[in-house]
Amino acid sequence: MTTAIATSGLVKTFGPTRALDGLDLAVHAGEVHGFLGPNGAGKSTTIRVLLGLLRADSGQVTMLGGDPWHDAVALHRRLAYVPGDVELWPNLTGGEAIDLLGRLRGGLNKARRDELIDRFDLDPRKKGRTYSKGNRQKVAIVAALASDAELLLLDEPTAGLDPLMEVVFQDVINQMKTEGRTVLLSSHILAQVEKLADRISIIRLGKIVQSGTLAEMRHLTRTTIEAHTATPVSGLESLAGIHDAEVSDGRVSFAVDGEHLDAAVRHLSSFGIRALTSHPPTLEELMLRHYGDELAANANGNGADR
Amino acid sequence: MTTLTQEPARTTAGRPRENSLAGTGKLVRFNLRRDRIKLPAWLAGMFLFVFYYGAALPQLYQTEEDLQVVTEFTQGAMGAIIAGPGFGLDDPTIESVIAGVYGLYFLLLAALMNILLVSRHTRVEEQTGRAELIRANVVGRHAPVTAALIIAVVANVLLALLVAAAMAAADLDTSDALLFGAGIGAVGLVWAGITVLTVQVSAFSRAGSGLAGAALGAAYVIRAAGDTITEGGSLLSWFSPLAWSQQTRPYADGRWWPLLLSVAFAAVTAAIGYVLSTRRDVGAGLVAPRRGSPTAPAWLRSPLSFAFRLQRAGLIGWGAALVVAAAVYGGITGPIVDAFEDLPETMIDVMGGDPSRLLDGYVSTMALSFAIVLAVFVILGLLGARGEETKGRAEPVLATATSRSAWLGGHIAVIAAGVAVLLAITGLVLGIATAISVGDAAYIWDTTAAHLVYVPALLVLLGIAVLLFGFVPGAVGATWAVFGFATIIGFFGPIMDLPQWVHNLSPIEHVARLPLEEISWTPLVILTVVAAGLIGLGLYGFGRRDLDTK
Repeated sequence: MTTAIATSGLVKTFGPTRALDGLDLAVHAGEVHGFLGPNGAGKSTTIRVLLGLLRADSGQVTMLGGDPWHDAVALHRRLAYVPGDVELWPNLTGGEAIDLLGRLRGGLNKARRDELIDRFDLDPRKKGRTYSKGNRQKVAIVAALASDAELLLLDEPTAGLDPLMEVVFQDVINQMKTEGRTVLLSSHILAQVEKLADRISIIRLGKIVQSGTLAEMRHLTRTTIEAHTATPVSGLESLAGIHDAEVSDGRVSFAVDGEHLDAAVRHLSSFGIRALTSHPPTLEELMLRHYGDELAANANGNGADR
Repeated sequence: MTTLTQEPARTTAGRPRENSLAGTGKLVRFNLRRDRIKLPAWLAGMFLFVFYYGAALPQLYQTEEDLQVVTEFTQGAMGAIIAGPGFGLDDPTIESVIAGVYGLYFLLLAALMNILLVSRHTRVEEQTGRAELIRANVVGRHAPVTAALIIAVVANVLLALLVAAAMAAADLDTSDALLFGAGIGAVGLVWAGITVLTVQVSAFSRAGSGLAGAALGAAYVIRAAGDTITEGGSLLSWFSPLAWSQQTRPYADGRWWPLLLSVAFAAVTAAIGYVLSTRRDVGAGLVAPRRGSPTAPAWLRSPLSFAFRLQRAGLIGWGAALVVAAAVYGGITGPIVDAFEDLPETMIDVMGGDPSRLLDGYVSTMALSFAIVLAVFVILGLLGARGEETKGRAEPVLATATSRSAWLGGHIAVIAAGVAVLLAITGLVLGIATAISVGDAAYIWDTTAAHLVYVPALLVLLGIAVLLFGFVPGAVGATWAVFGFATIIGFFGPIMDLPQWVHNLSPIEHVARLPLEEISWTPLVILTVVAAGLIGLGLYGFGRRDLDTK
């Protein structure tokens, strides 16, 4: 599997702020890579370094086999970008902005442009200053997706889009994936990344703290179990990997580490399970484990294995 | 349901007046805090401007006869157009020259100050969406406009007092100082009222302040035409708010009552603005924005053509304004030459001894003036590129296959070509108008050349701005200091006792003043080389620095 983006030890400071603090990111060619982190974690800074708009203080970056700073123009012919906060030219219509950005990249697919404008329900005749935030975002999305670029750098592309448009967006990204394009999709909207991403990297304070497929990440976390049993459950505390156990007559709830799930369910069944619900870990929980102090050390220990 | 719908209805019906002004006091304080630099800078600038004239003119015109020469110049049609009715200039004093000759420029500046001030606190706030945040609080419908007007009134009263104080500080006769100041403040007040009205029309602040500016231009033209018809102003003059302040006749036979017209007019325009503001939504205009093309024209496909597209409207606006100004200033050369002929022989000796050379002097001074005006175009052009960067609009362009040097180079090329074309057009129109006015076709080419020689000097100014853009992008605005220096040296250098090397610091000083002087090519070549070097260095710096992002 070839690598589309590889950074190692990337550092970028703005005065006293260390925006990137030794960032190691790897994106494989042909995958949709979710780039998750809260506001201010360094997502936009990373993407701007990848675009050669900012120059890293130290560390290595390779993108599509080139150096983003020195080979910016050549690389930009092969990629398309959607900024997180889209600003348009007040006197240019949305359609003019789409055409212009496409032409400056080296041409755009006219048929796809018209199709996307239609699917995103965008009015291309309005002047830039009259668009709402969501519509400005659509202009940037159409401009980027109407290209034949092999790499898409999308910085929180759907911020400001309504849920219907978000579905359209997911459709289009899945279509891009089947065409074999690489997508780096930054977001703090976890559900969206969950639906689209093959692999995920979580960034916090300018560092990647976790990286892998969603399945791999779930392995690292706990499943929540709630059950009704025929006889009251006992002996849970003797099992390994059980947390936050609560037992009241006939009802039990606890969280269990991935590798101990089998043993825990087997233990429960000996009390006669009448109803069982289990919640897989959501990305919220994944992130809470990284950003919550409680288990940070444990999680980082696990992360070091991969 | 019934209680829900009835209760608010009763409260709004019960005390609408009180509600619509809620929060005005807090907004005044808030806006004053946001204006803590801009407003004092405007007021201090106006004070210094008046003080400068008050202090410099007595040095320049030391005798009665010197003063007479000035007033000879400003009488007749030309005087009416560029200065006004000129009361008190038959028996000129320093004070009446300041009020009668230069007073108009203070009026224009006061109007400009108020257009920007009111627009900044009303429509700009709505356009950026900040007004929505404010209005969602306990702030009434009319509070933002009222707050802006209160600040404008306070600012104009202060302006009037400061102008009077500047006259006193320059040790001049203060008998009509307050009247002179009040006239300036009154024009400010009128344009505050006009701007309250015009910002209601369009959803965009530029259109709103543009309309107010157009009103100022119209007022200028009406007054100029009216004052030309009859000495001291005709009935037509009285249709212009600028005339009302001039008709107070400070330092001639001062009278206060014309200012009542100003105050009444300001009140009426502001009141119409209030009414219009209640007929529209927050952020909306009375005129719906037009729709444009769904696709980009075929020629819009390179960084250069894009930079041109962004600056096109500005270029057209500048071109139109310069053509009108050049036609007016060229058209009055005939009367000026007549005025020269009326001059007593001793005066002609003082001014070079040859009436035809006086006309050459006039042409070269106009060329210098237009070059300095176009320096503003150069700086604004590069600040526009800087705005593209800081507002986040350069980012998506630089993420395409557009290099840093192509992007900035496109803007530089459009500014440089724009300056050359605008100077050529201005020179050509001034030349044609002059040639027609005095009946000498040679002036067409002489005048065009007199303008074009300033291109290299303006490119040096552009180079300084580009250099800052490349290495200290936050300080591009410092180019204004260079512009201010070049302007002062250009206009007042001859009367200031400064060492030659100080003069040499201004790029404009190295340009021969055609047709008065012979063209000299060496400085033009050197200036061009310096400009190219500065631009190249700036491009290099921009290629190496981080892009400023939002």
